[in-house]
Amino acid sequence: MTKVVEISPTTRHEGHSKLVLKVNEEGIIERGDWLSITSVRGLEKVAYGKNMEQVPKIVSRVCGICPVAHTLAATEAIEASICCEVPRDAHVLRVILQCANRLHSHALHNILTLPDMYLPGTDKKINPFSPEEPVRSVAKRIQRLREIGQTICEIAGGQSIHPNNPRIGGMYMNVSPRAKNKMYDLTKEAIPLAKAQMDFMIAVLRNYQKREWAEVGGKQVPIPKNLGYHNQGYMATDPVYGTTSFAENPSWDAERFMEVRPWDWYMSEVEIDLADASYPVGGTTPVGVKANPRIEACNGVPLYDGQPVEVGPRARLSRFKGFDEKGTIGQQVARQMEYMDDCYAMLSHIDELNTSGKVLADEIPRGDGTCLAWATNEAPRGTDVHFARVRDGKIHDYSMLVPTTWNFPTCSQALAGAPWQLAEVIMRGYDPCVSCATHMIVIDDDKKILAQKLIQ
Amino acid sequence: MVLGNYKTVVSARSTDKEILKGAQDGGIVTTLFAYALDEDIIDGAIVAAPSRSKPWRGHWDIWRAEPRVVTTRQELLASQKTGYNICPMVTPVKDAVRMHGLDRVGVVGVPCQIQGFRKAQLYPIAMRDVPDKLALVLGIFCMEVFPYQSIVQLVEDHLGKKIDSVKKMEVGKGKFTVRTERGETASIPLKDTHKYEQPGCHVCLDYVANLADISSGSVGSPDGWSTVFVRSKKGEQIWNEAMTAGMFETKPMDQVKPGLDIVKKLATEKITKNRKTLDSRATFGVGKGLRNPYLNL
Amino acid sequence: MQRISNIFKKQEPEKPVTKKFVEKKAESGMKEGKPVAEKIRAGHVHESGCTGCLVALADNYEGILKILDRYVDWVYDLTLADTRHIPKMDVALIEGSVCLQDKIAVEEVKKARENSAIVVAIGSCACTGNINRFDRGGQANQPQHESFVPLSDLIDVDVFVPCCPPTPEQLRNAVLMAYLLLKGTDDQKKLAGRYLQPLMNLAKSPFFSKASFNTLMQEVINQGLCMGCGSCAAACPVRAITMEYGKPQGERDLCINCGACFAQCPRGFFDHGLTEQYESIMELIQEVLK
Repeated sequence: MTKVVEISPTTRHEGHSKLVLKVNEEGIIERGDWLSITSVRGLEKVAYGKNMEQVPKIVSRVCGICPVAHTLAATEAIEASICCEVPRDAHVLRVILQCANRLHSHALHNILTLPDMYLPGTDKKINPFSPEEPVRSVAKRIQRLREIGQTICEIAGGQSIHPNNPRIGGMYMNVSPRAKNKMYDLTKEAIPLAKAQMDFMIAVLRNYQKREWAEVGGKQVPIPKNLGYHNQGYMATDPVYGTTSFAENPSWDAERFMEVRPWDWYMSEVEIDLADASYPVGGTTPVGVKANPRIEACNGVPLYDGQPVEVGPRARLSRFKGFDEKGTIGQQVARQMEYMDDCYAMLSHIDELNTSGKVLADEIPRGDGTCLAWATNEAPRGTDVHFARVRDGKIHDYSMLVPTTWNFPTCSQALAGAPWQLAEVIMRGYDPCVSCATHMIVIDDDKKILAQKLIQ
Repeated sequence: MVLGNYKTVVSARSTDKEILKGAQDGGIVTTLFAYALDEDIIDGAIVAAPSRSKPWRGHWDIWRAEPRVVTTRQELLASQKTGYNICPMVTPVKDAVRMHGLDRVGVVGVPCQIQGFRKAQLYPIAMRDVPDKLALVLGIFCMEVFPYQSIVQLVEDHLGKKIDSVKKMEVGKGKFTVRTERGETASIPLKDTHKYEQPGCHVCLDYVANLADISSGSVGSPDGWSTVFVRSKKGEQIWNEAMTAGMFETKPMDQVKPGLDIVKKLATEKITKNRKTLDSRATFGVGKGLRNPYLNL
Repeated sequence: MQRISNIFKKQEPEKPVTKKFVEKKAESGMKEGKPVAEKIRAGHVHESGCTGCLVALADNYEGILKILDRYVDWVYDLTLADTRHIPKMDVALIEGSVCLQDKIAVEEVKKARENSAIVVAIGSCACTGNINRFDRGGQANQPQHESFVPLSDLIDVDVFVPCCPPTPEQLRNAVLMAYLLLKGTDDQKKLAGRYLQPLMNLAKSPFFSKASFNTLMQEVINQGLCMGCGSCAAACPVRAITMEYGKPQGERDLCINCGACFAQCPRGFFDHGLTEQYESIMELIQEVLK
């Protein structure tokens, strides 16, 4: 008989969310709904009527972990709408900024992942804040990688969290030759650290893959070999950066994208009838409480070619490098593999930067309101798409499709087949950033099953 | 306490002929920065430089001061003048440690600006990566400063000289004096300049940049010399090294005229006057007062 | 749990902290890298914000590891820890504004207040509302989520650490000073109390929780206090302030209501006596994190 268990709030990711899971007698998830319980700040609606210069600064504040993605996607969507081409060196600075942010974000995600993992050769889970070795050296390495990423962000972008150097038409300032050299030296320092970190993480992840069980709340929960498998496709627009509707050959097609009504897609009211007080830390929601995902959460379900897709590191590796490993561990391994590509891309763009080149377009049009433009940015956790229409310097339309939004339906799909105690492990594989996904949430994308249930 | 904490005070003059030629007084700030750049104590400095913007009159506003990040001796020497108008020295400090890539920054400023820098170190509310990057903080004595337009009115209206023709401005011996390119000098008594002062100066309780690593000014020393307070540990170390390197010639304060007493007198005057201003602000209106930033909000 | 107001009642009126005292402290207890007393319990509560404040705290890099090793038990934080429910804490760092229409959020901040001795609002969303002041609802799937207020509109907040994002250094200073306030010797409590006083004043200020560039205009320039140092222009996280002929000009179409300009302004608040000891205080902070 199917029972419902709720994990609320979920932990070790950005923002507030919860999992509502229908499980069978063995505790295996039959269907999962994962929903945000972060208040909807309505930043897209805030953008309406605002000055185009201010909007990237506002939407940057959607997320403090990947503010660079939102700043750049917003800036470039607006630039595409007003048909403004930015100087080459401004673009180079933006790519450097992008890579630096990804370096910090991936390293931060390592901290959030490690507590689920085991030190190879032991049955001891990793506490990244433990002062004991070898964990402490890893923590220091992670922090140093983050420091390098954030420092380069700060040089190229003005601030590491919510960069203030990008602006419509380019950048406020170019950097000095000394600053360029500093970024170069820092990247050179990051390369061996990133390599070591990648190797360490992959070893830890492979070790988890080989394990029979994971300990959760004092119980040994079997780890299925197909943990986090799903059959959805992948979507990525660039190995590193992104594209816009203004580009010569855009690698994303707005025509293939659609957003469907959520109401029909989610569980209606369910009553929690399975609880586990020993689930760390603080137990699951008590029996008798009601959950109503379709009311409590949501908005649209973004589809590409009529299907939910996965975005993020594995999607990028899959599309551009032929990477084909499925499941949560495959996804995590892909993330670690991006470390090196990221560092090399950063290095080559630093080399390419001309510090005396101009970084602001001579003419910045104000927009005539005819063009609903879009820009994508390959944020650490996937494709971030912003849409904008600008008229006389004011925003007329604004919309954001952030990475975690794309991943919600896909991840929900990936939950099925796993023991419910490991649902959070699967979810964390997506490196969710829930505040970003302000308006998007939950999902179960199997229309058929849901329709049948509704009839019943 | 009006002179703040200090380890030593001397009268000093740069030994660098090139710097002295363009110096306002003893060339202390320029020499210290040049030395610190040479010795790799700082990567660059924020200094006041002539404005590069062109106002509507079509002239380059060379007397309007603008903060600039410099990294070479040459750039440093190009910004030696004192223009007595407001130059927001704290403004570029974040860009200096970011886009300019400086890890050790030298800064100079009048007392209130040094307060800004120190507040940025102690309460770095919006000053990420600034607190540990201020490698040398130099202060300048200051009674008050003027908005740029005040300087224009003083020079062009009161003194009848075109501001572009001014070679040097000086405040001293109770007078505001300008020297022009044609070799003329003109001056008015300081008391006539008071009405043009920036109002914010009237609540300032610091005359000799109490919070700087090293602070200097002409008052107390003979012409062409400066009075130098060495205040912090860092300031002392750099000063001693610069002395060893022969960057300055010095005289003990008690052997120069007019000496430390005049510094103390002026500092006491400024602080007493401004404390009174603060007190009177408390009852400025009818049953209403003005805000005092040194008390609770 | 003792509220911060009680801690303060017991203290004597402030005396300037002498230099000697600070030096002595640096030599005692903490020099060997050991805490002078037991750890404090602290945590991070996330409301309608972006987690940038938490990232900023983590941007103390090795410093944050040391703080967690020696001074702070990190007992609650959905992003970095596994605890799901707000426990009793000495210090709660709360990030984000609160949505009046979101029952869970309102309950959570009340609970955080109840459970904490000191509530520190970190970041501008929590202190002044920040970009959330612009919110006006109307967005799926919760179009009724339209009213966002800073924390101090709903609960007593003890300390403000404004700016968007707040800086790692300021967050670190606030945490270390809160530690000294709770676990330090009497002298240390005095220093910490004096350091935190202006940040507590901000929390109690009648105008600061409504801050924007206008606050700088109204409370500094209009009050005849501005002396054109440019701290505000440097502080502004969105480059909305430029210095025009020596005075701040705020581009109000860019201002995000973070209040950093006023808070960083030396004529916003300034404590001469404390600032004079900048050298020893900064040495102390370096020392405890060695």
